[in-house]
Amino acid sequence: MNDVARRLAEVVGAGNVVTDPAELLVYEADGLTHGRTRPALVVLPGSTAEVVEVVRIAREAGIPIVPRGAGTGLSGGARPVPGCAVVSLARMRRILEVDLASGWVRVEPGVINLDVTKAVSGAGFYYAPDPSSQPVCSIGGNVAENSGGAHCLKYGFTTNHVLAATVVLSDGSVVHLGGPAADAPGYDLLAALVGSEGMVGIVTEVTLKLLRKPEVTRTFFATFPSTDEAGAAVSGIIAAGILPAAIEMMDRLAIEAAKAATGLDWPDVGAALLMDADGPKAEVEHVSARAIEITRAAGALEIRVPRDEAERQLMWKGRKSAFAAVGRISPSYLVEDGVIPRSEIARVLREIERMAKEAGLRVANVFHAGDGNLHPLVLYDARNPGEEERAEKLGGEILRLCIRSGGSITGEHGVGAEKARYMAEQFGPDDLETMARVRCAFDGIALMNPGKVFPTPRLCGERAGPYRPHPAEVAGLAERW
Amino acid sequence: MSASPRPAEERDALLGVRPRLAAEPASPEEAAEAMSAFARDKLAVAFVGGGTDLGLGAPPARLDAVLHTRGMARVKEHAPSDQIVAVEAGITLAALQRHLAPHRQRLSIDPPFPERATVGGIVAASAFGPLRTRYGSARDLVIGITLVRADGVVARGGGKVVKNVAGFDLPRLLCGSLGTLGLVAEVVFRLHPLPETSATLRFGGLAAQDVAETPPVLRDLGVEPAALAAVEEGGAFTLAARFEGFAPGVAEQVARTLARAGSGERLAGSEEAAFWARHDALRSAGDVRAKATFAPGTLVRAVEALRPLAGALRGGALVLHPALGIAFVAGWLDGADPAAAAIESARAALGPLGNGALVLAAAPPALRARVDAWGAAPPAIEVMRRLKREMDPEARLAPGRFVGGI
Repeated sequence: MNDVARRLAEVVGAGNVVTDPAELLVYEADGLTHGRTRPALVVLPGSTAEVVEVVRIAREAGIPIVPRGAGTGLSGGARPVPGCAVVSLARMRRILEVDLASGWVRVEPGVINLDVTKAVSGAGFYYAPDPSSQPVCSIGGNVAENSGGAHCLKYGFTTNHVLAATVVLSDGSVVHLGGPAADAPGYDLLAALVGSEGMVGIVTEVTLKLLRKPEVTRTFFATFPSTDEAGAAVSGIIAAGILPAAIEMMDRLAIEAAKAATGLDWPDVGAALLMDADGPKAEVEHVSARAIEITRAAGALEIRVPRDEAERQLMWKGRKSAFAAVGRISPSYLVEDGVIPRSEIARVLREIERMAKEAGLRVANVFHAGDGNLHPLVLYDARNPGEEERAEKLGGEILRLCIRSGGSITGEHGVGAEKARYMAEQFGPDDLETMARVRCAFDGIALMNPGKVFPTPRLCGERAGPYRPHPAEVAGLAERW
Repeated sequence: MSASPRPAEERDALLGVRPRLAAEPASPEEAAEAMSAFARDKLAVAFVGGGTDLGLGAPPARLDAVLHTRGMARVKEHAPSDQIVAVEAGITLAALQRHLAPHRQRLSIDPPFPERATVGGIVAASAFGPLRTRYGSARDLVIGITLVRADGVVARGGGKVVKNVAGFDLPRLLCGSLGTLGLVAEVVFRLHPLPETSATLRFGGLAAQDVAETPPVLRDLGVEPAALAAVEEGGAFTLAARFEGFAPGVAEQVARTLARAGSGERLAGSEEAAFWARHDALRSAGDVRAKATFAPGTLVRAVEALRPLAGALRGGALVLHPALGIAFVAGWLDGADPAAAAIESARAALGPLGNGALVLAAAPPALRARVDAWGAAPPAIEVMRRLKREMDPEARLAPGRFVGGI
């Protein structure tokens, strides 16, 4: 490994190779901190050319690569595997080119999500996908996880906003996918890339679509006796033909946590909704008024409309800080991410409550109600023996409930290391094998982020030819199906 | 067994290539059986839906059997409150819209020939119409897919919920793959509410520059058209902007847009439908049809690049989708050599316009003999070839039909 570190240092500079055990600590986990593995080393390349050299060196040495953005992921997608080289894109954070006439920006993968918007907001543009971590998460990570956010109900996910990408593959080749022009001839490899969780290659440049800021945004906050009425309001709004820009729900515990963290004067109620409508002024005024009527009729206790942009931002701060805020009311918690059909929200929330009671735990719910993307936060105290295990078990049971309800084990956080075991419950073996073939087209040697997404790691091309053990197999990192 | 193929007839030919066998499965299960049988016999196979986009791409280099999807046309599940629908691939767009309309919903994709175009074909060909301006293309609306692989294995990707990042994105990957990766057997789509009302504004006598300036002008104005297209008539462009939504919003956007333009008219009643029908007809006219793509901000140069091709065709006309950076050139072949030369020069000029390209959606054999339907192989062609080998190792799915001879 010392030899590898030395060769990497020749490429990226000694200061950009981390081998000191104390410094490696930071890279043992991503935003999902309870699963930790120490990498052999961390390397921080500064350009596409350097990434190519890093990949070649790792490949020759038979060292798996785990790409890493800002490390904010919540599914262990950037969790190292034993003996791996973590390739951090944190140094590649330049905004390379802006073309407002055609509506795109070309950036390096380490650029922070919110910084894209900041770079173009003066001209009235923005980058739409807005994960709650947008002040700290990077575009490369967003591409890997196909990140969403509150406003993807109307505007779509990262995959709907990536126009082009430059990717370094495990064989050291550099491929250019897509472009500012629509419908690049050939397979839609960008579709395969976005959401591939670092398993097809290392993205070194991304071209993102920019949108014009909507003319107006109208927001309201509504409180309800319980999540039943809040769920009915959401269904009623959607049934009326309204497509909100965002519609978010919080239950009693989540409200309590958000209040504790932000000092907002929200009442103690069973549920709250926060809705944005945006677009042309007259349309938005109409839609907003209609949504408020429906919300009132669904049994809202109180409806607040922010007086100004500052108050609106405060309301959103309450919502966006809810994950972290739960730390105020519980020493530890698990963040889950599941999806259910929107019409099942009330039933599934009641079921989660019942399951939590049975497990002797509390679950706070804060989620994207418009698209049925739940974020149950399972509260526990690791100091109580057995409680962490119970919490993890409950989290898993909630995911199974999502699958049984016709939904998915992840809406935006990705499968990563954490949920790979549930993939075989959502998909059949043939589904997974077909997905693995897509990965093989990019990375035939499973060098990139091995062991993620798929419940049983699979090597490529074993359908024909004599058996030859793969280095990853020898190292115990993968097995054949 | 109804899945057994019959001897093929002339009507089963694909771009002049006549297969020996034709299968007409009545369900995805029967389609999988047929595909397994084709795999056993190592037959080259192509899939045909409504046949509205068969001119796209190259003729297959080898074709033993065609599989018609029109027999599998059921709505498997429509959940109005979740705004999703799961359908078999052979249902026509019009039949699907008729199913959805009583629930005041629609699939927001509007390619020409909805009475014939099937949803499977729309996905496989990435077909679209003017609504793409607002709602995106098939890849933006497909949320789940069931495909039958070359070896007859049935695989699913995505699901029935709008938001879902579990696993590799097979639904989007299949969009535009033209039957070369697998048979699209079932599709789950995200739906939208039918708009309460719509209005189309028409602006005549425009130059390409005026068309190019329209999207940014409308953005600056704060209005959001659902569709924006321009057609060429008598040496000038006529541009139409359609607004959709709730009545007060549409009325206000119409008023504001007309005030800003200082000209233009709102199309009344049947005039509105007539304009968009004409747009579809112009786009689909002739025996030569090309789709050109370019960065939206480069529209004027793209139009210049396409002029020679329009001129080389008899009745050649341009249809522009300025917000998308897409143009169609359609007309009748009037000498293959000049048309081929115009296509090559257009490709050379479009390439620098943000990775622009020109793809043939229809062409007589004389023209196909002179130019590749797809143009130069894209930079990631090696990965595309590997993907093809992974999904179809024996190269039996419409071989030669796709880019780079895939």
